[in-house]
Amino acid sequence: MKVVEIAKKDIKVELRTKNSIYFMLLFALISSAMFSVSIPVEAYDVVASPLLWIVLLFVGMLGYSRAFLRELEAGTLDGLRISPINPISVLFGKTLYNLFLMLLVEAMIVPIFFVLFQPKIENTPLFLLSLTAGNVAFVIVSSSLSVLILKSKTRELLMPILLFPVVFPVISSTLAALNMAKMGTVDDILSPLALILSFSVAMVGVAFLTFEHAFFD
Amino acid sequence: MDIVLRNVVKKFGRFVALHGISFEVRKKEKVALLGPNGAGKTTTVRIISGITKPTSGEVKVAGKDPFKDYEVKKMFGVVSHHTFLYEELTAYENLEFYAKLYEADESRIPELLKEFGLYERRHELVRNFSRGMKQRLAIARALIHSPKILILDEATTGLDVFGKKELFTILENFDGTILLTTHDLEEAEKTCERALIMSSGRIVFDGSSEDIESVYKEVLS
Repeated sequence: MKVVEIAKKDIKVELRTKNSIYFMLLFALISSAMFSVSIPVEAYDVVASPLLWIVLLFVGMLGYSRAFLRELEAGTLDGLRISPINPISVLFGKTLYNLFLMLLVEAMIVPIFFVLFQPKIENTPLFLLSLTAGNVAFVIVSSSLSVLILKSKTRELLMPILLFPVVFPVISSTLAALNMAKMGTVDDILSPLALILSFSVAMVGVAFLTFEHAFFD
Repeated sequence: MDIVLRNVVKKFGRFVALHGISFEVRKKEKVALLGPNGAGKTTTVRIISGITKPTSGEVKVAGKDPFKDYEVKKMFGVVSHHTFLYEELTAYENLEFYAKLYEADESRIPELLKEFGLYERRHELVRNFSRGMKQRLAIARALIHSPKILILDEATTGLDVFGKKELFTILENFDGTILLTTHDLEEAEKTCERALIMSSGRIVFDGSSEDIESVYKEVLS
């Protein structure tokens, strides 16, 4: 499976350099600490879950686009272009690698956030499932978009401009699902989760149609 | 025919890099693509390699379009002045990664590393290699899947005298098609039987590589 080989290679490189991991973790830690000292303790319970989601979104925005950018900067993107692989396999490989990064950051940041803010969560498994589902959708969207803007000289500026309007349905649905899980009113939680899932599937479809055009120089 | 280009045009915005170039390279033919800087050699090679899509025109390598039939890329190896190597992987890991992408026989890796004098340092990260060592590894990478066609774009960049000699010995013994771009006219004449000279995105000469230095001066004067 060439998809897995690309992801494995990226994970190996990342574990050696730790560029993205350190960068993402440091940003997440600093912003969590800043939020915890700047928000009144009595408001912690209300703002904890949206803040956690915001931190993970910003961390992801900074980190996930690096997967393609690193190949471009190192000149290895051409090595993938000359290889006998379907371009969509490259996208899936990068998405898989970004999912690894996401799970790693989530596994480290969520416990810290819980310690700092001590939110009262009625349904913790559903809370974590909603957070992960939203994050997976965010990884899919940002991985797909990051290659579309590779050719642009202003890609760092373009990424948030393009990403946030596109990913807004995921952001709002994840927030709704997180609130439902926190309050324990989970009867309707399938609705936002289904929206997140269908949005992710739709984005994979869009990537199928556009990625090949964006991949080649 | 191993390589066929018909009316290939490449535009970068308003700049026209290739003005509808056409040429063919027969099986096992060794062709040098020559010309001054900015003539369009690298763009041509990038189009043939399946990196840069042409604006219009037809490109066929081993009878197939490299932008549609990805499997055809197993037929050719590309060596460029960019090595396409991962600095944070070892020499062995780099070859292993590309072998997997090409579904090539991984048991060839030690043999190739020995051939290019890198076997002893196979477990070292590529970032610690000299430019010449990286280029030798890049050549090994291009040969990992035993291609039938070799495409070389300024492949001798960074190689010392011995490295260059070694590369041209490999090219002389290579039993397949070669398309190479170089500024070294002597090497082109020695390695290739045919030369194409490009200028401002057009092919201005297509003929024997014999006495190429005087032909080059005459054509471009």
